[in-house]
Amino acid sequence: MTDPQTIISADHLIAGYLPGVDILNGCSMDVKDGELIGVIGPNGAGKSTFLKALFGLVPVREGKVQLRGEDITNLKADKLVQRGIGFVPQTENVFPTLSIEENLEMGAYQAPKTYKSQRAKMYDLFPVLGKRRNQQAGSLSGGERQMVAMARALMMDPSVLLLDEPSAGLSPDRQDETFVRTRDINRTGVTVIMVEQNARRCLQICDRGYVLDQGTSAYTATGQELLADPKVIELYLGTLGADKDDEDDADASAAPEATPEKSE
Amino acid sequence: MRNANHAGQKARHFPLRIALLSTLTVAAITVISAVPAQASQLATEVADTSGGTETNLLLQNLLNGITFGLLLALASVGLSLIYATTGLSNFAHGEQVTFGAAAAFAAVTAGAPLLLAAVIAVAAGGASGWLQDTVLWSQLRKRRIAPMQQMIVSIGLALAAVNLLQIWMGAQRVRLSTSIEVRYEFGPVSIGPQTMISMAVCIVALGAVGFFLQRTRLGRATRAVSDNPALASATGISVNRVIRIVWIMSGSLAALGGVLLALYENTSDFSAGARILLLMFAAVTLGGLGHPFGALVGSLVVGVVAEVSTVFLPTPDLKYAIVMGMLILTLLVRPQGLLGRKERVG
Ligand SMILES: Nc1ncnc2c1ncn2[C@@H]1O[C@H](COP(=O)(O)OP(=O)(O)O)[C@@H](O)[C@H]1O
Ligand SMILES: [Mg+2]
Repeated sequence: MTDPQTIISADHLIAGYLPGVDILNGCSMDVKDGELIGVIGPNGAGKSTFLKALFGLVPVREGKVQLRGEDITNLKADKLVQRGIGFVPQTENVFPTLSIEENLEMGAYQAPKTYKSQRAKMYDLFPVLGKRRNQQAGSLSGGERQMVAMARALMMDPSVLLLDEPSAGLSPDRQDETFVRTRDINRTGVTVIMVEQNARRCLQICDRGYVLDQGTSAYTATGQELLADPKVIELYLGTLGADKDDEDDADASAAPEATPEKSE
Repeated sequence: MRNANHAGQKARHFPLRIALLSTLTVAAITVISAVPAQASQLATEVADTSGGTETNLLLQNLLNGITFGLLLALASVGLSLIYATTGLSNFAHGEQVTFGAAAAFAAVTAGAPLLLAAVIAVAAGGASGWLQDTVLWSQLRKRRIAPMQQMIVSIGLALAAVNLLQIWMGAQRVRLSTSIEVRYEFGPVSIGPQTMISMAVCIVALGAVGFFLQRTRLGRATRAVSDNPALASATGISVNRVIRIVWIMSGSLAALGGVLLALYENTSDFSAGARILLLMFAAVTLGGLGHPFGALVGSLVVGVVAEVSTVFLPTPDLKYAIVMGMLILTLLVRPQGLLGRKERVG
């Protein structure tokens, strides 16, 4: 835990939305500076909840989140943004009536001085956004929105980026593009924690994967090891998740759609 | 209420919406027909008696409608901004409008010139917005009280406020200015100097709001909060600070609206704001709930339709019934209002 290379760590998090209902039951994770982490697991396992707990959007009841050894448990999102964490939610992750450029400006809201230079960087990284800078984000395609959302989260030059299913709902081509781009961003030194339904593709590009099931981090290994793990193959890769990621489940998740496949 | 028109639920909410609107319509007709619409009568009388060049009734009413629409827009833009950023339908907004007139009246009575009185009223209105958000609304938000419950609180607040205003102003009508209203004639229409100044002030103030929302960073953050408050805070915008500023703006704009309305109608009383509350809701809904310019467009349409319809109606008392009917028809065709954005599908 005191590994000096650890940038962000979660220690036995217990968290949930409603009093008395724990969605995370002792979820732990240790991420080294510069790592690209993939988090996989069945629908309703608590992957989104885990990212939200890291980002202070779901109250953590027990356990600890640390950033470079400092306790950041339950800090408010705007404080975490200041400390260099960026978050891209799974759905509704752009401001639809704002233009692309205004979306990026909001990303740099706490650091207006760096806005112009960061914006230029983002237009380099996502040229299509530069070309359409005055277009309303609400009128963009799913893939373009995902770019806006990612660019917005990168405007503060975060050291840790949390991505919730960036490839959900995209065509296979766009999915590939998203994974490649995520790795590119990671190679510029940004630590990335990515939740994915597309387990195979995710494990192929990430340094290390975590398997989350029923609110606990069941196990972790390198992406390659997990890809070869018979249990993982059986549970998450065999059917390739049957592309059940088409539905946007983040907010409608009060519905009892949880855990279609149980482990063991 | 805020998400009432989610695509999947649209059909289910439609009867509810119509029921609500019909109730509003009936209520509006009752309230409004109880109070003679002095403003339009005044204008019509003057128009009728002015000899010389012939006054064109249609154009005159169009002008009256635009004037009233601008006043309504100024009064209701705060209502719309608060709804957009917090989801609250603030039924106490009418009293914010009255409060402006009352504060100006108090200042005039104490000997202040009208202009200074207006400035004092605007400042007091802003202060009341700040105070309310600090001691009440921000506390309710912090405790995650749903917008529906907050709306009930606002109705209670409106009842309390209208009584306090009655104690403060008395039950009688008050006048901010006793100068005799002269009217200038411009071809087929005539207009008084007070009205012209009111229109100019409205246009400048509404332009300033537009400038704020489009051209300033804080204004763009305000639009971001109204798009998606959760995302706004995840992005690092201090949402509560933005909402506080919206309350201050809303209070001062409503106060200014109240002062100008009192000048336009040449009278005011403790229920002046309550009388236009339903019209403000109608205007904001018509324009597109939550849309930054919905209040402006909706108010202009409401004002113009109401005034122009009097040319064709047997009695001017029916004009607001026409407005409400038009609102219902518009919503049947465009549930999101004139400028409103369709809820994203899926
Ligand atoms: N806003 C919420 N309020 C209450 N329960 C929620 C909420 N969001 C998710 N849940 C519940 O938390 C559990 C985990 O959901 P989630 O973290 O979204 O899973 P995943 O992202 O792994 O599919 C689900 O049982 C879901 O019903
Ligand atoms: Mg999820």
